[in-house]
Amino acid sequence: MSRYDSFVTDVLVIGAGLAGERAAVEAATQGLNVILLSLVPPRRSHSSAAQGGMQAALGNSAMGKGDSPDVHFADTVKGSDWGCDQDVARLFVETAPIAVREMAHWGVPWTRVTKDEHVYDGKVIHEDPENAGLITARNFGGTAKWRTCYTSDGAGHTLLYTLDSMVLRLGITVHDRVEALSLIHDSERCYGAVARCLRTGELRAYTAKTTVIATGGYGRLYGASTNAIINEGSGLSLALDTGVVPLGNMEAVQFHPTGLVPSWILITEGARGDGGYLLDKNLHRFMPDYEPAKKELASRDVVSRRIMQHIRAGYGVESPYGDHVWLDIRHLGAEHINTNLREIATICKNFRGIDPVKDLIPVRPTQHYGMGGVRTNIDGQAYGLKNLFALGEAACWDLHGFNRLGGNSLAETVVAGKIIGEQIAKFTAEASLDVKSSLVEEHLHRQMDRVTRLRESRDGTEYVYDLRREMEQILSHHVGIFRSEDSLQDAVNQLSDLHERAQRLGLRGGGHGGDPELDAALRLPGMIRVAYCIAKGALARKESRGSHFREDFPHRDDANWLNRTLAYWPEGADEPELRYEPVKITESPPGDRGYGEATRGPDSAKP
Amino acid sequence: MIERELTFRIMRYNPDEPEKKPHLQEFHLTEEPGMSLFVVLNKLREEQDPTLRFDFVCRASICGSCGMLVNGRPTLACKTLTKDLPDVTTLLPLPVFKLLGDLSVDTGVWFRDMSFRTESWVHTDETFDPDAPEKRMDNAVALEIYEAERCIECGCCIGGCATANIKPDFIGAAGVNRVARFMVDPRDKRTEREYFEVVGNEDGVFGCIGLMACDDNCPVGVPLRDQLAYVRRKMASAGWRYQKV
Amino acid sequence: MKLQKALSYSPRADFIVEVIQMVSGLLLVLFLWTHMLFVASILIGSNAFNGLSLFMEKNYLLPAAIVFLVLVGGAHIGAVIRRIPSRWAEQKIVWKHAKLIHHADTWSWLFQSVTGAAILALAIIHIAVVTYGGIDVIYSSGRIKHGFLVFYAVLLLLAEYHASVGLYRIFVKWGWVKRHKLHWVLGVISVLTVGIGATVLWIFFTMGVHA
Repeated sequence: MSRYDSFVTDVLVIGAGLAGERAAVEAATQGLNVILLSLVPPRRSHSSAAQGGMQAALGNSAMGKGDSPDVHFADTVKGSDWGCDQDVARLFVETAPIAVREMAHWGVPWTRVTKDEHVYDGKVIHEDPENAGLITARNFGGTAKWRTCYTSDGAGHTLLYTLDSMVLRLGITVHDRVEALSLIHDSERCYGAVARCLRTGELRAYTAKTTVIATGGYGRLYGASTNAIINEGSGLSLALDTGVVPLGNMEAVQFHPTGLVPSWILITEGARGDGGYLLDKNLHRFMPDYEPAKKELASRDVVSRRIMQHIRAGYGVESPYGDHVWLDIRHLGAEHINTNLREIATICKNFRGIDPVKDLIPVRPTQHYGMGGVRTNIDGQAYGLKNLFALGEAACWDLHGFNRLGGNSLAETVVAGKIIGEQIAKFTAEASLDVKSSLVEEHLHRQMDRVTRLRESRDGTEYVYDLRREMEQILSHHVGIFRSEDSLQDAVNQLSDLHERAQRLGLRGGGHGGDPELDAALRLPGMIRVAYCIAKGALARKESRGSHFREDFPHRDDANWLNRTLAYWPEGADEPELRYEPVKITESPPGDRGYGEATRGPDSAKP
Repeated sequence: MIERELTFRIMRYNPDEPEKKPHLQEFHLTEEPGMSLFVVLNKLREEQDPTLRFDFVCRASICGSCGMLVNGRPTLACKTLTKDLPDVTTLLPLPVFKLLGDLSVDTGVWFRDMSFRTESWVHTDETFDPDAPEKRMDNAVALEIYEAERCIECGCCIGGCATANIKPDFIGAAGVNRVARFMVDPRDKRTEREYFEVVGNEDGVFGCIGLMACDDNCPVGVPLRDQLAYVRRKMASAGWRYQKV
Repeated sequence: MKLQKALSYSPRADFIVEVIQMVSGLLLVLFLWTHMLFVASILIGSNAFNGLSLFMEKNYLLPAAIVFLVLVGGAHIGAVIRRIPSRWAEQKIVWKHAKLIHHADTWSWLFQSVTGAAILALAIIHIAVVTYGGIDVIYSSGRIKHGFLVFYAVLLLLAEYHASVGLYRIFVKWGWVKRHKLHWVLGVISVLTVGIGATVLWIFFTMGVHA
């Protein structure tokens, strides 16, 4: 196995979802050669699954009147529980409206303001006829104005298809079904990546002036996630494995209250927004017991916490896929469900074979988004390694801090793609590629060696799917919605053991060509390291902030913890090393979020 | 609920071992409530045969990765529930596309080629002005574009099409629908004549012989017959008026 | 583009062939229906039938019909032949495909090409027989009595099936009507046509018996 293909380019973008493609388009427009690597055909990326929309303060719709980047900024910072970088947030909210319009120029069929009046929550809304034909917006949680631009039920889909059409138009090279296995670097500078073709199993060397990580989230580290199955945090482990690039705020993990059991497909918030109930195994509506004021419509993290608390108290419905609660929308009536909530009806029918008009929907809080990722500066440059950039969910640009607002993730992909893409272009134009072939071969041989050892089961016979399931369970059980010292310590110990065992993987099948078991075995050790960073970061952070909730430290502690976790994995180490950096506060000093009253703790219900 | 023992006859083929003819391999497993083919195939791979190849990404009928023939019918595996299947189910990869192994086919390459051939992007000379408000568009037009843009490129319409099965250059319903998407878009400045030169032929809309397996099998319900007829009428009128330059 | 394509580039060719196929098909269907109506004159009586036949002979309508059939039928065959899988390998693929996907419309297309080929053969025999034998109640009933009953019954069914599926295909492709409604309308027309044809055949057959 000494033969390999090699490719040279100006910019190598790993990941062809919205963030990666947007950055690639920016770089290519400025005359650079770009190669996009993607695990799957680009249009299958998880970006396409975002149905809600993207936030941008256009203020065209009646309910968005008076909106501005300032209001968007305030919502975002508050949502992050003051964990975000305020310079980044400011840049983001100012650019978002331009990015939305640019996507419209390229072809996104955004839903537009119409002259028809419509009814929301019993109120009649009259649109300004002056604004008819401009991009409209819908309501999302945690925002002061209706700000989420959308395309019917397929915002992510149309954004991705449009952006990919630009990739076609610019003739950007796309290598799909290719997985990056390691970054080529000398601890100072990044020179590209070693990758594996998932069709043939052959290894390749990509060298580039600039390398960009845009691989999306890591939801699949948790057994139950709303994420696509390709969201395994591979870009995060690429960066971590250099030993010099840190991951930021990995303990900040968002859970969505209503994932459909057992496929964990998202049931949108609209179900509860329109009046749906949550019921326990006795068909008792339990949310009013915990949250008499807001009931099912408390903020996402609060509802998720209450559901899990109720399940822990023994009121969950047992199932082969774990305990869950019921979502009940039957009382809304067939007409309402089959029109306003059609998506939900379709998902229930397709994936559970139930009809929400007559049946209860089994749901459970489900991992949804990772605020953490490859830590970068405001230009998208990764900490610790030159010529490396990261953006999108894979990065910790730090727009989201400890809790992301709905509609800000889709927005981040194209806004960061635009801003950071420009920085990449500027940086690359002045960069040169002078890489030693010995360095490339060294990294390549390391991966070849891994493949051989796995095929021959030289180090052991641990089965990749067994270990993987254990990792998923450790995170789900111990690093979920409720966290506490003992449980997290348990997770760290188990992950340490698991990481050790992951060095002894061996294949059961032959591992030839594009073998899926080999794919998984090559990926797993890196996934466990990322999981380790999540658990260790959560154990160390002795406060509750945003989605990170410690039962033993139920309050936010700005005196000691107004900072960002940086997790490194030094070369040869067997556990991550945590460092901290201060969070930059510019315009908005930490205060009360004004919602999430339950963050005071499950056993301190308000008088 | 009485537990059923399910049998799956799955096509096995590894391009690295061309000497082994494609064949059906039988697998057995016990049905669970709410089980989909996504769950089934992953279980089979993790518990019975780690070399089994298939593609899933979103597992929520959004990404279009898992098109295959389920008892002969082209559909998405992720939204196929075992409760709707008989005791014995045959799973085959989609025809037309290059076979990568077992149930995995290279739909991505096919669709990329089609997108290039139909020049699937908005053709305009206008440049973007970051300071100007967006151009207005009637919401009805936006919805019309979205109706065609909803295609998830799963390839079920192509795999089920007799013409696509024998004519490798035929762009199929997905290709014609793609053209329709840009035809209704006022931002795209292409003329009817330009579209005609791309799809007004046997590899395009006039290659369709009207069997409508595409329309019958589209897993996301894109109105393919309407789109095919729309483009056919447009192209007929363009063909009628076509003059050599 | 490759040289051979560039040299013979004619962007409208495929469109024109498609139009020829459709128009010739529609004309043939019209011919079939007219033919059935004329034949049905026997329902009124032998004199009506013979009178019509005589009228057609006098006005050279018979040779005109034959010229029409050769031209239009020829054009139709020429146009559709491009659709029919010509190579053995392709034939194998489409039959396997139809078996695999369990799709009624796909089967109907295969039957359409088979019936088309059969009609071509049977129609040639029919025209030859009629041309040499002449059209007259006694000749016709005699022919049907002596061996041609099955022949005509088969031709009738094939022609009607082919015409009906062909019409269905045209309407589906151009999108003028809803598919299930189309099924229904064409079904009724087919039953009527086959009904008339069968009655006519029966009348001739019984006449032949009595003759």
